[in-house]
Amino acid sequence: MMNDGILIDIESLVKKYGNLTAVDGISFAVRKGECMGILGPNGAGKTTTVKIIQCISPSDGGTVSVFGLPAGLSQRAVKAQLGVVPQENDLDPDLTIRENMELFGALFDMPKKTVRERVNANLKFVELYERANDKIVSLSGGMKRRLLVARALLNEPKVMILDEPTTGLDPQARHMIWQRLRSLKSKGVTMVLNTQYMEEAEQLCDRLLIMHKGRILKEGAPDELIKNEVGEEVVEIRNHEVKGILEKLGGLEFMHEEVGDTLYLYCRESRDILTRLAGFGSLSVLRRPATLEDVFLRLTGRGLNE
Amino acid sequence: MSESMLSHRIYYVWKRNLVSYRRFAIPSFIASLGEPILYLIAMGIGMGSYMGLVDGMPYLNFLAPGLLVSTSMFSATYECTFGAFVRMKIEKVYNALIVTPLTVEEVVAGEILWGMTRSMLSGFIMLGVLLAFGIPNWKSFLLMPLLWVAVGFFFSSLAIIVTSFAPHFDFFTYYLELYIMPMFFFSGIFFPLDRMPAAVKVISHFMPLTYAVRVSRSFIYGNADWSVLLNLAALIIAGLFIFYWAMHRMKKRLIK
Ligand SMILES: Nc1ncnc2c1ncn2[C@@H]1O[C@H](COP(=O)(O)OP(=O)(O)O)[C@@H](O)[C@H]1O
Ligand SMILES: [Mg+2]
Repeated sequence: MMNDGILIDIESLVKKYGNLTAVDGISFAVRKGECMGILGPNGAGKTTTVKIIQCISPSDGGTVSVFGLPAGLSQRAVKAQLGVVPQENDLDPDLTIRENMELFGALFDMPKKTVRERVNANLKFVELYERANDKIVSLSGGMKRRLLVARALLNEPKVMILDEPTTGLDPQARHMIWQRLRSLKSKGVTMVLNTQYMEEAEQLCDRLLIMHKGRILKEGAPDELIKNEVGEEVVEIRNHEVKGILEKLGGLEFMHEEVGDTLYLYCRESRDILTRLAGFGSLSVLRRPATLEDVFLRLTGRGLNE
Repeated sequence: MSESMLSHRIYYVWKRNLVSYRRFAIPSFIASLGEPILYLIAMGIGMGSYMGLVDGMPYLNFLAPGLLVSTSMFSATYECTFGAFVRMKIEKVYNALIVTPLTVEEVVAGEILWGMTRSMLSGFIMLGVLLAFGIPNWKSFLLMPLLWVAVGFFFSSLAIIVTSFAPHFDFFTYYLELYIMPMFFFSGIFFPLDRMPAAVKVISHFMPLTYAVRVSRSFIYGNADWSVLLNLAALIIAGLFIFYWAMHRMKKRLIK
């Protein structure tokens, strides 16, 4: 039933909430062993998309097939093979860490002994084994997210779905989660990762969908996206008369964009541009490598669009 | 609704509530019992001493069967309104459960099963308290659990429906003050219905607790006949409808 190692296959998916079209005809596939990122700002439709994959929200059009089965509310077989780290923390505050894990494991109809072994192994994996008997309230934000990762691994899922696993965490906690996720990746765990952070997407994802207002704007590997959409380098020039600069740079190969007080020049190589600008008097010029952020902002517009 | 929506997984939801309950068992136990015991003492002993015989028995004895079901109704109601709302809205327990192979229907059924458990527990405690006054006999211990199952099932299911509509806690105050409390007073617990004005009698027919009180009296005083079974059956059948509606409503609330 599954072909070419495609675990999730989505075709023209549409989801509406009343008059609002939250997901507007998107198509993509997730292959075995890859980390597929969905990168987009708040409200892009990331959570809505993965909820449909998780079989906890019905779609309004298109087809979603997971492990060769059609996604749908009663699809226990799909739910049984997914591991989910939800955007919103839903650890049970009435229970200890161990109780949380053991009750959750039982939900998958695993034998008690298996549950116990996996609980211990996964708590160790996220470095929370020593805290097993503590209450959830005593955990920091980062620890809670790690526990959610451990919990999602209990059923040894075929695909892990991570919905903004590090949003709101401090840098240390974030790097700790990234380490754990990279370690899972190296073990061949397939992942779908929702994120608003460019850095997270660059660090973890093999392939990316850039999502905005319910649509997929671009798809590709992070470095490919950067090369194709903006080139290698960016020159930022602040507070200057744009027309004069562009005239001065005539004949050189670059793309440009003007936002507020800044002129952005995207190019493969910035040396010639900088040489010409050198004769231009006192300019505030910043030269840096192109990042995913440039791709993202180029595609979605640098202005506020909410 | 297909049958496969409900399975043994209901037990896991029930188990989760049990594990969580063990921690708060004593305070919540006392809270759920305080009210009926207060009524028993204030009304039964206090008022009873001025009242002489009611329906041919001391007032305390008249009161006892009704309180045996009302305590069970209150437990189920609190558990599946305030308790369920905390789990659903604040603790996000339902969200966590439905991502696993559990269905919304099973979450609801598990919650109701737990509500029934609580309602059974408070029933037994009340029975124990009444034992101190020499009221129930050994047969009550066999028959009453049957009734508590029906009462717990009906009122837990009804409470889940209310919860499925509730935007915030205050919402439950309306339910309690406009429905549960009036029912408590006009279902024949505190005074025999046959001496009430016609209007009260008519209203009492629409109050499920009335049927439960009637069944309870005949269980405790051993004058059960076929009409008692009919009352019990009515409660269970009504409960089944409410239960299906509760599953439907919760699905609407949780699945968007
Ligand atoms: N249950 C809901 N009811 C109505 N609108 C919703 C609901 N959930 C999400 N939305 C709307 O759908 C859009 C996409 O939301 P979401 O999928 O949560 O985006 P993201 O996860 O990318 O931040 C947003 O405009 C959001 O307000
Ligand atoms: Mg989201």
